[in-house]
Amino acid sequence: MDILLIIIGTLAFAVAAPILGCLLSGIDRIISARMQGRVGPPLLQPYYDVRKLLEKDRVSVNASEGIYITCALLFTLLAGGIFFSGGSLLMSVFIITLAALFFVIAAYSTRSPYAEIGANREIIQVLAYEPMVLLVAVGFFMAIGSFDVSAVLSAETPAIVKAGLVFAGFMFVLTIKLRKSPFDLSYSHHAHQELVKGITTEMSGSTLAKVEIMHWCENVLFLGWVGMFFVWANPLSWIIAIAVVLFVWFLEILIDNNFARVKWQAMLKWSWIITFFAGGINIMILAYL
Amino acid sequence: MGMIGFLIVFPLVAALLLLCIKNNTARNVIASISTATIALASIVLAVVYFGHDGFFVLLNPIIDYACSAIGIIIAICILAYAIRYKNLLAGILALVQVGAALVFEFGFAHGFEVQSGLYVDSLSLLMALIIGVIGSGICLYALGYMEDFQAQHPDSKDRRPVFFALMFLFLSAMFGVVFSNNMLWLFTAWEITTVCSFLLIGYTKTDEAIKNAFRQIVMNLLGGIAFVGALFFIAVNFNTLSFSDFLAAGVLNPDAAALPVLLLAFAGITKAAQMPFQSWLLGAMVAPTPTSALLHSSTMVKAGVFLLVKLAPIFSVSFIPSVMVILVGGVTFLFTSFMAISQANAKRVLAYSTVANLGLIVACAGVGTPEAIWAAAFLILFHAIAKSLLFLCVGTAEHHIGSRDIEDMDLLFERMPRLARYMMLGIMCMFIAPFGMLIAKWATLVSFVETSQVALIILLVFGSAATFMFWGKWLGKLAGIAGNPKNEEMTVHRSEWISILLMAVLVVLCCVGLPIISKFVIEPYIATVFADFAPSISDGNLIIASVVTALVVVVLFAGLGKGKAKKANVYLSGVSVNNDSRTFSSSLSKETEATARNWYMENIFGEEVISSIGTICSALIIGIALVGAVALAIGLF
Repeated sequence: MDILLIIIGTLAFAVAAPILGCLLSGIDRIISARMQGRVGPPLLQPYYDVRKLLEKDRVSVNASEGIYITCALLFTLLAGGIFFSGGSLLMSVFIITLAALFFVIAAYSTRSPYAEIGANREIIQVLAYEPMVLLVAVGFFMAIGSFDVSAVLSAETPAIVKAGLVFAGFMFVLTIKLRKSPFDLSYSHHAHQELVKGITTEMSGSTLAKVEIMHWCENVLFLGWVGMFFVWANPLSWIIAIAVVLFVWFLEILIDNNFARVKWQAMLKWSWIITFFAGGINIMILAYL
Repeated sequence: MGMIGFLIVFPLVAALLLLCIKNNTARNVIASISTATIALASIVLAVVYFGHDGFFVLLNPIIDYACSAIGIIIAICILAYAIRYKNLLAGILALVQVGAALVFEFGFAHGFEVQSGLYVDSLSLLMALIIGVIGSGICLYALGYMEDFQAQHPDSKDRRPVFFALMFLFLSAMFGVVFSNNMLWLFTAWEITTVCSFLLIGYTKTDEAIKNAFRQIVMNLLGGIAFVGALFFIAVNFNTLSFSDFLAAGVLNPDAAALPVLLLAFAGITKAAQMPFQSWLLGAMVAPTPTSALLHSSTMVKAGVFLLVKLAPIFSVSFIPSVMVILVGGVTFLFTSFMAISQANAKRVLAYSTVANLGLIVACAGVGTPEAIWAAAFLILFHAIAKSLLFLCVGTAEHHIGSRDIEDMDLLFERMPRLARYMMLGIMCMFIAPFGMLIAKWATLVSFVETSQVALIILLVFGSAATFMFWGKWLGKLAGIAGNPKNEEMTVHRSEWISILLMAVLVVLCCVGLPIISKFVIEPYIATVFADFAPSISDGNLIIASVVTALVVVVLFAGLGKGKAKKANVYLSGVSVNNDSRTFSSSLSKETEATARNWYMENIFGEEVISSIGTICSALIIGIALVGAVALAIGLF
């Protein structure tokens, strides 16, 4: 029963998330352009870009890179499916980490020095955000009483009430997970602050298209984690959750356009300090009070 | 019972035989047959006894006297080494231990009769499978490895008979540890494993090997003395030397059990190389690789965590020992994971990761709930398989590329394609979902959350992130592909391939079959120790994990390298000349070589800083706990 639900959820996520993610990305580009005093591209520009990538010749530096990326995309879809079908939050976290690992190995497999730097930075990013992401799952469990996401549907209060500090800490690392400046160390949409093209330096054509689609799906999943904090038994709470998610998306775009990339030392240091205090204190309160 | 006796005695006979045989071919034949016999016997034993826990009446004063004799032989052996290499401390500790043990055996122990000398339950059967299959697999591997080793060290004397005798003696002693209910026998087997690893670490007799061997023996003798101390208290307070009776009585009277359990836990912590004693396992790396594989995966350190897991029911009711074990395990997990980031030497990364994972097992034992024990049992199983696979791969790679530095494993994916894939499988099994270790870590996290162990949760989440870092970058190094370098794995010995393949198959089978193992092996044990129990991870999630595991394995062994894209050069800021060496013509029309190394972040995660912080923390924890337990014991009288 569980498994059937997850299969259906994964298929649904595989259809819906790229569409939603593409639209979010289009909105991002328009809003960013307005913040910079430009008109910006049409809403569907990200879709046009990916379509063009898919039409390109298949050229690659080795015969394995594309397979690693396909796996990464599949695991991202599975992680999304598990989450949105109400499965275990921890399972979703672990599977998305598996996707991140395959993305990293794909870059390493090329042996391009630029891609390797990108891959190393991606690993540092995982090192920076992973503790907080795990604490989000722990905080969610302590607030709702289950690791299963579906438990929010019968919760009397939303998770944000008890796990507010955890949510604040998650907001900090969310910028890393969404690959927004100042924490877009491994792979940036801002050409002026990137080393060639970071982790995707050697990726082209359909492989790069898959990376882009994976990024859309990731964004939808992570925003889902944000929304999860605001849903409880009351159906009206969905409206609040969606409003919060849209506001957070806007906030991330604002941050993205107002900060230059920082060094990895600063990212690591501040993520861990905030994780330790925000996450630690919140969990201590939930455990002992 | 006959089969248990066979498992203990047969490796002993094989060891004696191998000690006498100098001929290479004869040794290969005898060792191969013996390993197969041991593996088969342990599998048969498991099949026969799973679900049939029980005790065996074995009351034989001859074995008791044999134990005393073995204790004296061990002490003489250590003393001889201590005198020859002028190590005063080891000599004194050996004398103290044997003196205390003899006083105990002849002054106290003969008043107690332990009716059931041996026992089986699902946990000891699981351990027997690990020792019997993985341990003997490593012995098989050693045949080919030691031939290369001897060829590469032609000027040193061929002491392989001693080496193989010790390996088999080790297996015998481990069977003794997991099946003995008589604590005197348990202690004797425990000491045999200590002295075997001492001799194996010092095998090459170089200055460094001798120094590290003595470090091991000093630390483990401290543990041994604590063990004897625990025996005194158990005899006085509980009037028994039966392990099962002590466990049952200890749960009912946790205050009286606090000090002996703490001492036993101390012995377990030294043997499992937890901080502040981690340095002996790091030092053990000087030994030939099969020794490391044996120490890390199926023997020695596993004896330490086995003892702690057995003590778990008392930890769940006795505050002081439990807190000590939990904190030492958690602190060890965090700091050794950090230190692994800064290591470029593959064997040191493996060693730190072993200590870290043992830390998790130790912490789980300290938490002592059924869920935590479920996690601990799986951590023991998957760690044993994956770690032995990794050691065997690194050992073979070292003999063929001439280095154990991770940076030198660049392009291994093409130079040794099969080996690199096995190594990648082993690494993935160690740290990433949906493989076994991570499922066990997941259960660990859940059990920590359910018991509100805030400190452990924090230690675990930061340590896990570090785990991703040091495995991830190693995996990346292995995955590099460029051109078609020479294949260097044609000369690998067949015995090495067989063992590596065995471990790889075990990894896959156990990961995919995790739900089944849980149902038929782990849950029965927990049901006998604790009353009610439901695993903290639902069956649905376990099944998803096993399906995804199968998918990753298929991709790794069948999918990679099959893409059909047109080949292009990598981008190197100029015209690429050679992809293998990453040279290019720059705009100054000169050939330039691009280099890239992994990150080791020495100034943040370097050994010097982290190790001293961890040592101080854990030493303080142990010291305070010891004072607390002694005060409690005095208060009781």
